[in-house]
Amino acid sequence: MTAVQSRPRRHGMRATLLVLPAIIPVAIVVIGGIGTTVVQSLGLMPLVGTPALSVDAFESTDNLLGSALLSLGIAVVSTAIAAVVGFFTAVLIISGNWGGRIVGALSAAAVTVPHLVGAASVGLLLSDSGVLARILGIPPESWPALVAGPTWFAVIAEYAWKESAFVALIIVGTLATRITSYDETAAMLGASRGARLRLVLFPLAAPSLLVASAIAFAYTLGSYEVAWLLGKTYPEPLSVMALRLFNSASLTARPEAAAVAVITLLLTAAIVGVAMLGLRRMRAWQ
Amino acid sequence: MQIWLPFRRAASPTTARRRILPALATAAVTALALSACSAPTNTPSGPEFFDWADVQIAADGQTVKLWMWGGDDQGNAYVDDVLAPAAAAQGVTLERVPIADTKDALNRVFTELQAGRNTDGAVDLVWINGDNFRTGKQADAWFCEWTDLLPNMTLVSDSDPLLTEDFGTPVDGCEAPWHKAQFSFVYNEATVPNPPTTIEGILDWAEDNPGRFTYPAAPDFTGSAFLREVLYSVSGGYENVPSVYSDDAFAELSPALYERLDQLAPSLWREGTTYPATSEQLTKLFADGEIDMMMTYGPATLTALVENGTLPDTTRVLTVDDGTLGNASFFGIPSNSGNIAGAMVVANEALSVEQQVAKADPAVWGQFTVLDLDALSADDRALFDALPQSPVVPTFDILSQNANPELSAEWVPALDDGWRTTIAAR
Amino acid sequence: MSAGTTSVSLDKPVVHPPRRMPGDHGSPLTQSRGVARVLRIVSTALIALWFALPFLPLVLWSFANQWMHPAAFPMEAGTDGLTAAIANGGGLAFLHSLLLSLVVAVIATPLGAMAARALSRGHVRFGKAITVLLFSPVLLPPFAAVLGLNVLLLRAWVPPAVGVVLVLVAVAIPYTTFSMRAAYAAYDDGFDDAARTLGASSRLTLWRIHLPLIAPALARSAFLAFLVGWSDYLITLVVGGGHMITLPLIIASSASGVGNESSVAVLSLSAVIPPLILLGFIARTRNLDPGKQR
Repeated sequence: MTAVQSRPRRHGMRATLLVLPAIIPVAIVVIGGIGTTVVQSLGLMPLVGTPALSVDAFESTDNLLGSALLSLGIAVVSTAIAAVVGFFTAVLIISGNWGGRIVGALSAAAVTVPHLVGAASVGLLLSDSGVLARILGIPPESWPALVAGPTWFAVIAEYAWKESAFVALIIVGTLATRITSYDETAAMLGASRGARLRLVLFPLAAPSLLVASAIAFAYTLGSYEVAWLLGKTYPEPLSVMALRLFNSASLTARPEAAAVAVITLLLTAAIVGVAMLGLRRMRAWQ
Repeated sequence: MQIWLPFRRAASPTTARRRILPALATAAVTALALSACSAPTNTPSGPEFFDWADVQIAADGQTVKLWMWGGDDQGNAYVDDVLAPAAAAQGVTLERVPIADTKDALNRVFTELQAGRNTDGAVDLVWINGDNFRTGKQADAWFCEWTDLLPNMTLVSDSDPLLTEDFGTPVDGCEAPWHKAQFSFVYNEATVPNPPTTIEGILDWAEDNPGRFTYPAAPDFTGSAFLREVLYSVSGGYENVPSVYSDDAFAELSPALYERLDQLAPSLWREGTTYPATSEQLTKLFADGEIDMMMTYGPATLTALVENGTLPDTTRVLTVDDGTLGNASFFGIPSNSGNIAGAMVVANEALSVEQQVAKADPAVWGQFTVLDLDALSADDRALFDALPQSPVVPTFDILSQNANPELSAEWVPALDDGWRTTIAAR
Repeated sequence: MSAGTTSVSLDKPVVHPPRRMPGDHGSPLTQSRGVARVLRIVSTALIALWFALPFLPLVLWSFANQWMHPAAFPMEAGTDGLTAAIANGGGLAFLHSLLLSLVVAVIATPLGAMAARALSRGHVRFGKAITVLLFSPVLLPPFAAVLGLNVLLLRAWVPPAVGVVLVLVAVAIPYTTFSMRAAYAAYDDGFDDAARTLGASSRLTLWRIHLPLIAPALARSAFLAFLVGWSDYLITLVVGGGHMITLPLIIASSASGVGNESSVAVLSLSAVIPPLILLGFIARTRNLDPGKQR
């Protein structure tokens, strides 16, 4: 063992000790959470009766494909809106003038609202006899079916609203330390506003934009309150289906709920995995 | 294969690093092993008490967590301001845990039992009835045969079918009655001057007035009860629907129900393309004047909602000739509660004349009493007679005329699932 | 575009330009003019409206004692909502929420910072696998926690309060780790090295050089972790098992009833205030840049 070799090794030991405290709680929660969900979906942890391995739960749930497509559709559209709005919001905030400050404060306020409250509030705003309809004086029968309508408008709007604020917060947070000097340098060298946005701001923001969008996407697929409160009765997104089954009066529905949860998890992991592969290709990261 | 030696020298940094993944794998296996063991077979039966004095001694100093739906301000205030002080006077601290759905409490108990936590559960007392009670009973989640010990159970009739069976499930002393409720249709007198008088009449009225009627999507409690009301109606009365569930009876009777609802759907709010998710959303539609008729399984709250201006002054309860479903709601004690004696004291106190009178006052909560009024002393009876009359909700006697018995709880998921696949998926 | 400006003087020997934070005044160089200015004002107004609009019902309902359809505005203003919110235990729930969120932030922020520091220097074996693991809690649907995790925690006899903190910390770690990693990607190790070369102990370097430099990023990470605790409903309810009645629990149970709009609105608005105050503090956390003349 030579001295040259031992130095990186000491570094490695220190690095391991630095990472370990974060790994332990995450490992317990993720492995425990996924493990117990999978075990339940396979019928190995029944509420009553003896455990027996079976995949019945995955087969007995009807219209799974329709629900999966609906979940994906809602998540893709709302995440796309959130990414675009969030990016431009971040640009406004970083510009640092008074308008940016107002937008910064409002978007920060939006980040702090729990989704449950957001859903209740969007419902009060957009429903047939909601605040907007009242203020504009439009009677319920002429108001478009935004809440619980065929377009899932209110659900998508709520997610897009909350997640765009989140995307903006993440981008501002990661860029604030270095963006302005680059931007000023580019401006001094004569770059136009559009060119600065395209060639300086966007490439620098892209990695955090992608990560924030992936988080928003995963959240949208996994949460149920918004779709349950503002959505249509049928078809239902995966998360709503899982919770309905979990809360079902029959004791045997729990494995089915777990099966839907496992499918949601796989779907989320697959899509976020693709996004992360995209991230590795971006040079600005690292 | 390497054997682990307790006195081996400390691991070098390199091996320590290499151990992260194996350690994670071990953690995962341990986690699965912890969870995958089968659910404990011997469910707890709880403590044994010889008499009421025994219970009172054990209860002294206990803190009882009452899990109850928190969406009703009057109910919350009654428990906090009236029931809790009375319990405190007997040495029991009553804490209310507000939940958005009673299923949350039940799921907590199930999870604790799944994990083998049999003596220190977080839920001591639940406000419960119907399919939640039945599910809990199937899973052996309730502490049973305790209601006979309550002194105030003598005030309750032991032959009242609403109190001996809960949606067809025998109560068996596994829950103590708290109040009665009657399924009620509600209409706006200003927009419906001549309301129908039968269930079939209500459906016809809905078809004559497109867009002015709807019902909550099953499995919402109220929406699900509406399905049973219509089932009775299309079957020619509750007598024709066997209370005990069988696949044959379902196959014979349910097609008429779904056919009628399918026919009704285009005349509903939003042409039946969607339904309110909860009875609260339904009430909101009524409050906003989007529909002119609605339904509720908790008419007690209507008085306060009219008074505080949520519902219009012209809100009235409709009594129908064919009668409506009636039920009672109860206090259940999970078998793994650590404060069973305290919970029994609270349940007993809630059945006292003073508490039942206070709770029946529309200004307090307006819940119908479970006490047998004929068996009460003249003085006690006078307390109930002296209660102010609600301008919106008729008395229980009028409301419960021709009351229909609830179907057994097995009917409920069957009808709900059928509704989802035939009507919601239309 | 004009480069004529007084704010940047090239001949001044600036070693390291002062870092900027959102909220600083924009320098004239990057300020738009003419049509671009109008466009910027319009887009600012639209985005402000986008974020503000969903607050409108909350603000209006907060002060509405009575507001029946189709009146355009509340018919009777008052504080019934506030009274009901307090009667339902809103005050105590507020304190519980605050305590829980602070504990989550205090634990998850250093853990995330340490992990990010190690990962960003590339000395960790299985670094990629660990990065994926630390990111994975965001993929876990909250109802998976309801379904399975709680059985595990109960079986292991983890006290409810500890369980809630454990799960929320795990959920917050992806946010703090990611946010700190981005900060470390832009961090200049030269300051630490210089301090060590000049004879400072590693502890002194950490406290006087390293931490002051990453303070703004730490504050932002702590804010994200605080939010995880602040807005959680399901985990507090299910894992906490009624031992912890936080603001979202009160809001959810009130919102499930009829005619509670004004108390729900009051509770919801009060839930926005503490994070905003926190954000105000963060905006004031400046890099204590050693290169900056003060």
